[in-house]
Amino acid sequence: MTSVLLVEDDPWLAELEADVLVGAGFTVVHSPHAPSAIAKIDETQPDIIILDVLLTGSTAFALLHELQSYGDTKMIPVILCTNMAESLKLEDLKQYGVRRIVDKTTMQLDDLPAAIKAVLGNVM
Amino acid sequence: MKKSEGLGVESSEKVIDAIEVSSLTAAAHELKSPLALVRQLALRLDASDVSDEQRRLIQQITLTSERALRLTSDLTRVARLGEVNDALFELEPINPEQLCRDIAAELAPLFEAHGRSLAVSHRVHPLLLVANRDLLRRIIMNFSDNALYYSQPGTAVHMQIQALTKAGTIRVGIRDFGPALSNDMWRKLQKKLRHSPQAIHARPQSSGLGLFIASQFAEVMNGTIGATRHRDGATFYVELQASRQLSLL
Repeated sequence: MTSVLLVEDDPWLAELEADVLVGAGFTVVHSPHAPSAIAKIDETQPDIIILDVLLTGSTAFALLHELQSYGDTKMIPVILCTNMAESLKLEDLKQYGVRRIVDKTTMQLDDLPAAIKAVLGNVM
Repeated sequence: MKKSEGLGVESSEKVIDAIEVSSLTAAAHELKSPLALVRQLALRLDASDVSDEQRRLIQQITLTSERALRLTSDLTRVARLGEVNDALFELEPINPEQLCRDIAAELAPLFEAHGRSLAVSHRVHPLLLVANRDLLRRIIMNFSDNALYYSQPGTAVHMQIQALTKAGTIRVGIRDFGPALSNDMWRKLQKKLRHSPQAIHARPQSSGLGLFIASQFAEVMNGTIGATRHRDGATFYVELQASRQLSLL
């Protein structure tokens, strides 16, 4: 089963997104901020990371830099799920492992599962 | 009888100075997260087993949060207009009628929920103008949103594209059918837009913020916004340069 690390600091939104992902057949581990995300990555080796940008404390970019520092973690694909989507360009972020940007302000419930499937293929 | 006047904002009379824009942008950023969450929660509720009346209310929450999110997005976009490397800012030939049709389709659920509709006037010979697609889209969405709330229930808001007699200018207008603007309101609209956004009351209950945003977007595309007063409503419009590709059609 595909494991997803969900990095989201809003607990209500995290709960909602996790419910949707679990309902779509994914295993979900949640981290509310970048430092705990690093620990969870070491523990669980997720297949993919869903990452909010404006996190409490360090932003997503600090985490992306950290992931790129290690051979094993740099291969984990990342989907940014953010309110800042219109300010970001996917081309600029591909070098950090970002494969998709999902706009929180316009996304539908099934957009996250669809984005994961688009990145990983239909592997569950 | 109708009366028309451009609403261009002169650079020396910016309605919101840099500090105010910065504050508005910061507020918009802060509002985005809770609004996006409200929308997501409403979508989740909408997907559950609820009564028809509950579903109607949930859809109103969704549509209202989306309207607010559009405003916050417009505000953050205004702030980025001044950025030197705004790679998203590109001018291109655009068929405004097609753009209006896309917007009408997108806003149809919102208009339907309010008992109104959006209609696009068809032109046999399409016109092309030069604009940034994102910014023009935001202007038209903004005017459409304004028209929605000031048109009478059961009426259709009309999107119209015209080639003006002054050479090389195309006008995209959003015509609503609602209460006429009083002379006093009209004078205030014409005069105060140039001076203070807080004092603009284009219509009752309007802060004028939407007009300010639209004027900023039009200005960076070398365009202007304006309004025409009718006995039974108003038309808010943006005027932009025609595309030279027009001659190839």
